Amino acid sequence: MIDHVNGVVLGVFVFLFLLVTVLGFAAARWRRAESLDSLDEWGLGGRGFGTFIAWFLIGGDIYTAYTFIAVPATLYAGAATGFFAVPYTIVVYPLIFLFLPRLWSVSHRHGYVTPADFVQGRYDSRPLALVIALTGILATMPYIALQLVGMQVVLQVIGIGTGSDSWFVKDLPLFIAFAVLAAYTYSSGLRAPALIAFVKDTLIYVVIIVAVIYIPSRVGGWDHIFSTVSDSFASFNKDNADAIAAGDAAPKATMPAAGISQWAYSSLALGSALALFMYPHSVTGVLSTRSRSVIRRNAALLPAYSFLLGLLALLGFVAIAAGVKVENPQQSVPQLFEDQFSPWFAGVAFAAIVIGALVPAAIMSIAAANLWTRNVYKAFINRTATHQQEATQSKVVSLLVKFGALVFVLALSKDFAINLQLLGGVWILQTLPTIVVGLYTRWLHRWALFAGWAVGMAYGTWLAYGVASPTQDHFGGPLVNFPGTTTKVYIALLAFGLNLLVAVVLTPLLRATGVAAGRDQTTPQDYHADIGDAGVDEELGSGTPVHA
Amino acid sequence: MSSRGRWAVIGLLLAPAIVLPLCVSLYNREDPTLFGFPFFFWFQFALIVASVGLTVPAYLLSQGAERADRERHGLPAEPPEPREPGKGARP
Repeated sequence: MIDHVNGVVLGVFVFLFLLVTVLGFAAARWRRAESLDSLDEWGLGGRGFGTFIAWFLIGGDIYTAYTFIAVPATLYAGAATGFFAVPYTIVVYPLIFLFLPRLWSVSHRHGYVTPADFVQGRYDSRPLALVIALTGILATMPYIALQLVGMQVVLQVIGIGTGSDSWFVKDLPLFIAFAVLAAYTYSSGLRAPALIAFVKDTLIYVVIIVAVIYIPSRVGGWDHIFSTVSDSFASFNKDNADAIAAGDAAPKATMPAAGISQWAYSSLALGSALALFMYPHSVTGVLSTRSRSVIRRNAALLPAYSFLLGLLALLGFVAIAAGVKVENPQQSVPQLFEDQFSPWFAGVAFAAIVIGALVPAAIMSIAAANLWTRNVYKAFINRTATHQQEATQSKVVSLLVKFGALVFVLALSKDFAINLQLLGGVWILQTLPTIVVGLYTRWLHRWALFAGWAVGMAYGTWLAYGVASPTQDHFGGPLVNFPGTTTKVYIALLAFGLNLLVAVVLTPLLRATGVAAGRDQTTPQDYHADIGDAGVDEELGSGTPVHA
Repeated sequence: MSSRGRWAVIGLLLAPAIVLPLCVSLYNREDPTLFGFPFFFWFQFALIVASVGLTVPAYLLSQGAERADRERHGLPAEPPEPREPGKGARP
């Protein structure tokens, strides 16, 4: 750990941070709308983003700063399944290609802003829409908190705030960064992260490309890196053989071994891919696009980020070969940058990661605020809310959500945020049967979906509670044994399977007993409509209001 | 080709991008290495490139399939030009 602050690093970092702050506020004037006083404008950026902007926005949204810190950290720490982030981000795009254009069309036809709006319109069930919305908010909050954790790690490596004993001075930089983020999200809405995403991604691409070309050549080439890592893991496993046998330490490996951990790897990849596009912030990103084809084209273009993520993940190994020694594996890559780059470029790299946290944090807080406004406030509290009241409500809630995340990180333990993020993935996947199956057929009964959701949530949470790790008694990891076997699989997938089973079994029973299925607001045509079709180009006042 | 046929081809094109990354036993090995990268790592990078290579033709095919689907659902094959392009037009 470094205790002193390098002036050049800090100067470059602060300069870039100020630059995006200006951009964030200027974004309110970008692609100017007559007024930002509606959720279509504030919360979805006018629903007019083309392929190019959407690529930056969705890319900035999915590949968060926390990803950029946590994925290399798992490789640095020798977790064999750490690289699953790469197959996960390969699998997700064909799924986006197939499912999300339908959600786009039906949402534009009916003015849906959130996935829960769609559920309300499709199933005519306020309880179902409410639980889908609450699941989204619950899963998003810890995700925002983790973006703060990512920022905190970088700030620690830079060395600002670490020299003081006062918690206030220590956390002041984080506080300032978040206050700035909150202010421009409030004033510019989704336009702010869309514009900042350009800067963020340009910086990230430059930093990573330089890092994977320059640093390995300095530490002896990839050949040398991989062999150093294997040797280091082998000697760790040998030195700690007793602890590993007793279950007090986890063995280290570069890749999942044949047999059992393969299933852990692939179930994590599949479960995370299915969960990813159920997150409110990915839906927000997708709904902000201009047309159906923008989504499909991006399914072919976004994997560029996966390539970047893979390279970045390997920097965890590079850090080992370069002799980086840190207590907290999350500091390994920032520390590697600090050690290997000249100060000004290290400043650029740190700014890239911190700005990388601001973009998804902004989109997530907007998405959570939209859920609250549309599916709790408008559905239950003020049923006659005007567009302007909705926008005001969302703006205020986006502040509360961010403030909540900040309190979370500062007041509670960081591990708690990570545990909740793990649970978030489990929870959000339980909304998939309602949303994705609902895009194709209304066969599943609304109350069967509700029951499936409840069972999936309870079972998933219970499974996660029972996982112990060498450092924690509960919520120790994402994997459990598949019932009746010793093969470890991702909890979210197990809970999802049970959820779907319950929904499928209960549907015919509910039908047979004549429980009302509600009125479907959508027509088959709605799932194919594109920009220019009737009801799609006029956003406001078109279609039947979802809470009519 | 019918719209159903086109969607079947699109499904076939996209299936490997979903299935191959999940078949870990295919690729969790050291050899052969490429530029010093163990097979496990470079194969997954290759899968990213391959999935893009599959998604592009799938996208092109989907354009035609969409037109057929639109007509089947009573929409014009091509959506009309939006009135104010680029801005989610407002009356």
